[in-house]
Amino acid sequence: MSADLRTLERWMQAVIMHPEGAVAGIGSAPARKLVAAAARDPQSVVLPSKQLSSVERLEIYAYMYYARLIEILEEEYPTTRQLLGPHEFAVICRKFIARNPSRSRVLNRLSEKFPDFLARTLPKSHKSELAVDVARIERAMEDVFDAPKAEPMSAAQFAAIGADQWERVRLTVNPALRMLKLLFPANDYMQAVRAGRKPRIPRPRPTFVIVFRRGFQVLRRDQEAEQFRLLEALAAGRVLAAAVRAAIRGHSRSADRLAAMLGGWFREWAAAGIFVSTAD
Amino acid sequence: MGPGQLPFLLMSANIRQSQPPPNRWGLPDLGLGVGLRTLHFRHITEKWPAMDWFEIVSENFIDTEGRPLYFLDQIAERYPIVMHGVSLSVGSTDPVDFGFLDKLKALSKRVRAKWLGDHICWTGVAGLNGHDLYPVPYTEEGLRHMISRVRIIQDYLEQPLVLENPSTYLTFAASSMPEEEFIARLAVEADCALLLDVNNVYVTCRNHDLDPVAYLDAIPYEHVVQIHLAGHTDNGTHCIDTHDGRVIDQVWQLYARVHDRAGGRATLLEWDANIPKFSVLQQEVRKAARFRNGTRRVAA
Repeated sequence: MSADLRTLERWMQAVIMHPEGAVAGIGSAPARKLVAAAARDPQSVVLPSKQLSSVERLEIYAYMYYARLIEILEEEYPTTRQLLGPHEFAVICRKFIARNPSRSRVLNRLSEKFPDFLARTLPKSHKSELAVDVARIERAMEDVFDAPKAEPMSAAQFAAIGADQWERVRLTVNPALRMLKLLFPANDYMQAVRAGRKPRIPRPRPTFVIVFRRGFQVLRRDQEAEQFRLLEALAAGRVLAAAVRAAIRGHSRSADRLAAMLGGWFREWAAAGIFVSTAD
Repeated sequence: MGPGQLPFLLMSANIRQSQPPPNRWGLPDLGLGVGLRTLHFRHITEKWPAMDWFEIVSENFIDTEGRPLYFLDQIAERYPIVMHGVSLSVGSTDPVDFGFLDKLKALSKRVRAKWLGDHICWTGVAGLNGHDLYPVPYTEEGLRHMISRVRIIQDYLEQPLVLENPSTYLTFAASSMPEEEFIARLAVEADCALLLDVNNVYVTCRNHDLDPVAYLDAIPYEHVVQIHLAGHTDNGTHCIDTHDGRVIDQVWQLYARVHDRAGGRATLLEWDANIPKFSVLQQEVRKAARFRNGTRRVAA
């Protein structure tokens, strides 16, 4: 008796999504549970053609499944790939896809968990940790590329926030902003690779990177530690005055220098379109 | 609309004068189009080149509010748009994803799509998506299942679904009818529209040792609203639908036959890998005009 439609679809999926190919897929426990006869006689489920066996025909789909999705990861993570090397990158992509098959109808979510997967599975080394940092930046760039569009606050809107409002006003950050705390100067490394240079693996040094979209251009920028903390507090919805006080607490700089520093940060963020509105 | 578009529009006007009866929905012959790809966004929105219409891959413009949608909005202002999806998974035994249908509907409204469609296939089960077009077994059970799904989806979308014959690389032992019969019965019994991919007919027939002419003769042409043309890769033992080059002569011959049977149908060139300059796409799709105008015939 032939298998029903639901069983056949589940069987074919189990076979072609197997990371070791269709032969291993046909022999796998999930596939055998669905259509036991196929393990003994694949022709009982898939007919051969004049040129190809049943298994070879299934291998076409099995090959294309991984090839297509690995190609997407290669496009999304070019610097991570360059750092790990094309072969090792392809191997780890295959493992990632096998353990994290797509559950979305669109492809832009395929690699959401890829940086965390790298962090969990790569052997511990400076190179691996740098690769994780680079992958986090590259994933953030994908997120920001697709993020909702929002109109940034103008300079006039900033200027209109009076000192009397500081104790209650909150700033809303652009939905196309991602904030990353990294173990390495990964943004500098990426920049060098993209410029065609072959940088060495840098020494670990905490860095703070924002990834954002201005117009339709995706940009990345390093931030000072205090600057990043202030932006983090504002993004979390903290009232402006409280966030600023927390950021400058313990600073030995003069009031003038602190004001200049804060002014510089806010001018940079305003130019980057980091804030989109205010709320009381 | 840019002045550069005039030659294409004139070609379409000539074609329309000699059209056989239209498809059963009266959907228009849009003329000659190409797939809209990221690589050409800037060229199109700067030059507004001659092209009758564009087809989009629906999923590339869903769940994003970035650059692709910005360009699509501009292009949709000047050219007719058709939506062609790859993950509706009409043949899947998973439940219909109404949330996804809502997104398709919203995009269709946004770009004023002339029609929308997908493929006669499934793309995943058990909540997974393989992002590929998998064949269904051509059985009575498979047919009943797909007819029922197409009816539900069409009712929800409130428009005919335009479904394409995919390139297939395997045949299920359980299949009890040829692919072309399955497709013909699906179109008639579900009352859906068809996108006849002539390259896929060629590829499928090569892979299954079938006669492409017999395949084409079984198609109910009153259901065909659109035609696809593309290049493929011939591996000797089998062909793969790679969309990475020019249309081969044998496929042009099949296209001429389709045109003789169906008359003017919106015709689209797909080119998705090794994508050339836009002018090469224009040149390649223009070849179809010669068949449509009856100025070039090849031996059947």
